[in-house]
This record gives sequence, C-alpha cells and structure tokens, in this order.
Amino acid sequence: MDSSQKSGEMAININETKSAEIKPTKTKSGKGKSDLGPPIIVATTKAARDPKGGWKRGVGIFDFILRIAAIGAALAATATMGTTDQTLPFFTQFLQFQASYDDLPAFTYFVIANGIASAYLVLSLPFSIVCIVRPHVVGARLLLLILDTVMVALTTSGAAAAASIVYLAHNGNPNTNWNAICQQFNDFCQRVSGAVVASFITALIFMFLVVLSAVALRRN
Amino acid sequence: MKAAALEFRGSTSTPRTGVNRGVSILDFVLRLVGIIATLASAITMGTTNETLPFATRFIRFRAEYDDLPSLTFFVAANSVVCGYLFLSLALSILHIVRSAARRSRIILVLFDTVMLGLLTAGASAAAAIVYLAHKGNSRANWIAICRQYNSFCERISGSLIGSFVGIPVFVLLIILSAVALSRRGSHK
Repeated sequence: MDSSQKSGEMAININETKSAEIKPTKTKSGKGKSDLGPPIIVATTKAARDPKGGWKRGVGIFDFILRIAAIGAALAATATMGTTDQTLPFFTQFLQFQASYDDLPAFTYFVIANGIASAYLVLSLPFSIVCIVRPHVVGARLLLLILDTVMVALTTSGAAAAASIVYLAHNGNPNTNWNAICQQFNDFCQRVSGAVVASFITALIFMFLVVLSAVALRRN
Repeated sequence: MKAAALEFRGSTSTPRTGVNRGVSILDFVLRLVGIIATLASAITMGTTNETLPFATRFIRFRAEYDDLPSLTFFVAANSVVCGYLFLSLALSILHIVRSAARRSRIILVLFDTVMLGLLTAGASAAAAIVYLAHKGNSRANWIAICRQYNSFCERISGSLIGSFVGIPVFVLLIILSAVALSRRGSHK
C-alpha cells in the first residue's frame, strides 16, 4: 500500500466515498479491475485523481495571475483618487477654487475601500500559492472564496458610490439645483473618472475569482 | 471487503447529504428573506412623490425618485434582483430535493455573484445621493435638499435599509453554495 501512504488524505477519501460507486457509473477512471481488492481501488482512485489535480492546479495558476492583475487595478484606483488635488488659477465668487478627494465623503470612502482591497489582495497571494502547490486543499480555497465575496461587495460599493458622485459632477441635476462642477475642475474630473473605471475592473476581477474558486472547490 | 464497501456506501448517504439538505433549506429561506427585502426597497423608493405646498422661484416644488438617476438605478437594480431571486427559488428547491446537483450550484454561484455586484452598486449609488441630500456639499455648492423635502428624504433613506439587508443575504448564499460544493457528500 505504498500509494496510499504517499498521500494520506487521498487514502482516507477512498475508504469512505465512492470507490464502490464509481465503478459501475463512472467510466472516467476506466479501470476494469473492479473485482480485485482494496490495493487496486487505491491505485485506480489515485490515478484517476491525478489529472484532476492537474486541472485544479491550472485553475489555481489562473487565479494567481488574476490576483496580480487585480492588485494593479486596485492600486491604480487608490493612487489615482488619493492624489487628486487641483487648484484653479483664478478666483470665483461662489465656488471654491480647490478640489481634492477628501472634499467629498464618497471619494474618501472610495479610497479607503480600494486601499483595503489592495491590502487584502497582497495578503491573499500566499494562500493562492498554497492552492497551486496543493490543488486538493479545501480550507484555503474556501477561505479565499469567502473573503473574495466580501471584497466584491466592498469594492463594488466604493466604486458605485464614487460613480454616482462623478455622474453628478459631470451632468449636474437641474431638479435639485446641483451644478456640474466638472466644467471648472477638468483635470480633477478626469482623474476621478479614471479611478472609478479602475475600481470597477477590480470588482469584475473579484467576481471572476469567486466563480473560479467555486469551480475549483468541486469534489470529484 | 464488499460488505465493508456496502456499509460505507450506506453511511455516506445519510449524514453527508443530510447536512447538504440542511444547507439547501437554509439557502431557500435566505432567498425568501432576500425577496422580501429587495421588494420592500424597490416599492418604497418607487412610490416616492412629495409635492410641497408652496412654490419658490428656483427650486422645483415636487420630488420623485426619477428626478435623480441614481435612485432610478436603485429601483431598477432592486427589481432585477428581486425577480432573479424569485426565479432562482426553483433551482433552490431542486437543490433541496437533489442535494448532490453540482453544475446547477455553480451556475447559481455565478449568477449570485453577478447579482451581488448589481445590488451593491445600486445600494451604494443611492446611499451616496441620500447622504448628499442630507448633508449637501459646501465645496461643490450643492445644497442639502432634505431641508425642504422632509418626507421624501425619510422615504429614500428608509428604502436603503432593505437593500443593505439583501447584501449580506447574498454573501451568505454564495458562501453556503460553496460549502455545499466542497463537502464530500456532493457528487454528480
């Protein structure tokens, strides 16, 4: 029983699950040795699981690459919004001539949410590497899925709140007598709009990561 | 060995699929809660209509939800999410009956994630506008409209609650589906 001692957790799975059920229904393992004893069961299930381990490893590598991309997008969003500071060269009577991100609470929340998302992504890279190295681990993947789901909500909420303020800044609202400030603060508006786009890309990547983890969590 | 194998087969079906069935029932109950919450939000926001008894020269004396595009998006998003939850009740019942369905759970996770994003986007966009309506912004010279439109402001603030209840409901739904997928009793 060398094969069962090489990978202890697989031996445990074999004993209780579907080794008796796989043989009549699934032809994937394709072994015709069903009438022999447990050593062959161990060998067939382990051999049948190795290509599945390779597939999960591919998913893990894709997950890692997506996380790196999401780090880039989230950091870009945070930095672009956090460094906004435009001072107009002239002075008008009613409008302030300086605009920065902390003048609007929605933008402050945006910077905080994207900062948290970037920090979480950097800290989740080791867990992602663990999922690549050991494709059949469940705990790390489940933890990543739970935290990714929370991050989807956080990032999307920051991006949407900032987007609604940006929309208001671009178009104004005649019903409530809110003026479009983008006509004066051009550079500020462009930076802020770009940051919102980067944040939405981060949110999309998070959604994709959640679905990837769910697919990789399947127990065959 | 064959008797042992049969005994293992018998012991795998009851406790593992029993827990999966409990998870599926909890999933169904959470979907019902989500339907009620998002429906209440959509209706509360959609029926806002306040007309002030006096008229001023510069400010409109009537406030509705479609005067602000973010609130329109909020109503649309909540309606879409409510309709999706209603349709996904069928899949949820299928999961209670057949706890071992795997591909449908992954489809459900996919759509739940998309709907989570949509619901959060609608709720946050409306929350930003509601905050602005309450406090205004001195830098951008945006006045707080809540001072004139009291009942409109209260309604739009209250309708946010149902939507923000629906967001953790969706997070829990995704986590429950993932737990059900990862358990050993789940097989095709």
